[in-house]
Amino acid sequence: MSGDSNVKVRLDNSELWSGLIGLGLGIFVIRSGLKLKLGTIHDPGPGFVLFYTGILICAFAATIMVAAITEGGPTFGSRWKDTRWAKPVIVIACLTGFAIALDPLGFLLAAIPLTLLLMRLIDPVRWSLAVPISILVPVGMWWLLKQALGIQLPSGMFGIG
Amino acid sequence: MDTLVNVAHGFGVALAPINLLYCFIGVFIGTLVGVLPGIGPISAMSLLLPVTLSGTPESGIIMMAGIYYGSMYGGSTTSILVNIPGEAASVVTCIDGHQMAKQGRAGPALGIAAFGSFIAGTFSLVALMLVAPKLASVAIVFGPAEYFSLMALGLVVLTFLTQGSMAKALLMACIGVVLGLIGLDSITAQPRLTFGRIELMDGIGLVPVVMGLFGVAEVLLNTEQAIKRDIINAKITRLLPNKEDWKASAGPVGRGTILGFFLGILPGGGAVVASFASYALEKRLSATPERFGHGAIEGVAGPEAANNAAAGGAFIPLMTLGIPPNVVMALLLGAFVVHGLQPGPLMITQNPGLFWGIVASMYIGNLMLLVLNLPMIGMWVQLLKLPYNILFPLIILFTIIGVYCSGNNVFDVYVMIAFGIIGYFMRKLGYEPAPLVLAFVLGPMLENNLRKSLILSQGDLGTFVTRPISAVCLALALVLLIGPLLPTLRRKRELVALDEGA
Repeated sequence: MSGDSNVKVRLDNSELWSGLIGLGLGIFVIRSGLKLKLGTIHDPGPGFVLFYTGILICAFAATIMVAAITEGGPTFGSRWKDTRWAKPVIVIACLTGFAIALDPLGFLLAAIPLTLLLMRLIDPVRWSLAVPISILVPVGMWWLLKQALGIQLPSGMFGIG
Repeated sequence: MDTLVNVAHGFGVALAPINLLYCFIGVFIGTLVGVLPGIGPISAMSLLLPVTLSGTPESGIIMMAGIYYGSMYGGSTTSILVNIPGEAASVVTCIDGHQMAKQGRAGPALGIAAFGSFIAGTFSLVALMLVAPKLASVAIVFGPAEYFSLMALGLVVLTFLTQGSMAKALLMACIGVVLGLIGLDSITAQPRLTFGRIELMDGIGLVPVVMGLFGVAEVLLNTEQAIKRDIINAKITRLLPNKEDWKASAGPVGRGTILGFFLGILPGGGAVVASFASYALEKRLSATPERFGHGAIEGVAGPEAANNAAAGGAFIPLMTLGIPPNVVMALLLGAFVVHGLQPGPLMITQNPGLFWGIVASMYIGNLMLLVLNLPMIGMWVQLLKLPYNILFPLIILFTIIGVYCSGNNVFDVYVMIAFGIIGYFMRKLGYEPAPLVLAFVLGPMLENNLRKSLILSQGDLGTFVTRPISAVCLALALVLLIGPLLPTLRRKRELVALDEGA
């Protein structure tokens, strides 16, 4: 890594930020361990392992940050360079939408649009193929689970499924 | 004599029609996920974990094991014909396997991969039959200190072998331990990190975590780039290797088998390490190392034998100590637990039908794989032509259904999606998920054994270094932790470090 993609103390150094997130997480785990009570070395409490693991998390996160400052590290931009970064964002958005819709709409009404969107928005599959697959596969899976295995998928407020 | 009687008993269990069917389903799905890039044995096993609940423990575990070793066979097909590894252990097979295919020798490459895998698989099963009962009788004397140190060693070995920064791998392992501790404390029943949510009282499920980190994250990574497939379109003929091929491959298969078996037993090791180590060994031993990378059959035979032998060897620590040496075995441990079984030193004596049945089924499964992978190669080649833009929405749909079925709980689907997004960013930032998942499984056991040893020794930390097995494990772990600080060891680590995740 060299040039613009490998920076030292710059705010877009991805290593520095990932270390910071780790540090924050470590501090949170230490606090949780302390709240739960550490106990003694003769009789360790529920927070004992959490507390010491939190310290280790902080130590490893600090090592990552020190390395990021002294040796540098790739920028966020270089991590996504030459990739179709918008595609995973679309998939994440579809999955988030599905997660929100699953409980109120039920499996079938949430899964059919999800499958169709994923087929059309990433590397578009032609409509004549995407529509039947998006309907038949979720319906087929739902039928198989309900009829063959007796597993009830969420049916939502409309009771479909 | 006892072993023979037990083996006969095992075959009695494995040859029951229902177990044969489950074994076939397992190896078939294993080959399928091995062949299809973008879905590996870990995702497939998590997906099918709930399905195992409908049958007996024997049937379920026979099927799960079949998926694992079946994927080792199937992975080589994609590596040779498409130059895309179907799963991580087949990465190294791409190097010479695809070159052979380009030279019109796809048949012998596929043939030697299948026969090498069969020979190695058979050897590792025989060794498993002989070693496991002996190790189990030794493991009975293990106390909490030994278990704690052995698990700590397993985690350190895995972090040592993980690609990239060791600090990052250790950070992942620690986060895995914390995630594993979510839920009620096993001794005081106090809720930990549950944020008042009733769904978290029992902890986070293994299936949503694994499916998110490996299944969904892998799909997100794959959508970033247009997958180009360099499929060999020529008709594949003459699958049987000729006399020269066999002569060149006999040594690599033998060495790969032994190396793979022992690397499979080691905690933290596994099929991926074994295949890379075997390739490096064969290249070093070869009189003409310059042929490697240009279609040397030894570069296919050795690694393929090694990864299958390792798949068999990896069952030893799980079956005899109850400690999963890698993520796949952690999932298998999950399958045992959902059936109310605890693998460990007593399992072989208390549940001989289960243990010997699984071992015998693996032998039958190896035979099935030989049939599935050679005469039916044309079918797998057709499958390789399935476009990824149709495949990936279906993979997502199957993971959602699999996760929901694992607990009949919508919350698990949310957890999977969250871990999928976290896993994607982790991989982009150079954090491997394998140490996190193994630590997630081992975390509660690690904590339990640590607390038990401290209570039993009345707070004396010396208990970990005065007990010989524990001391050796901790000393080895320390060497591996300090090792990367030394330049020579760091270079060695970079050479063997790999991505276990795919």
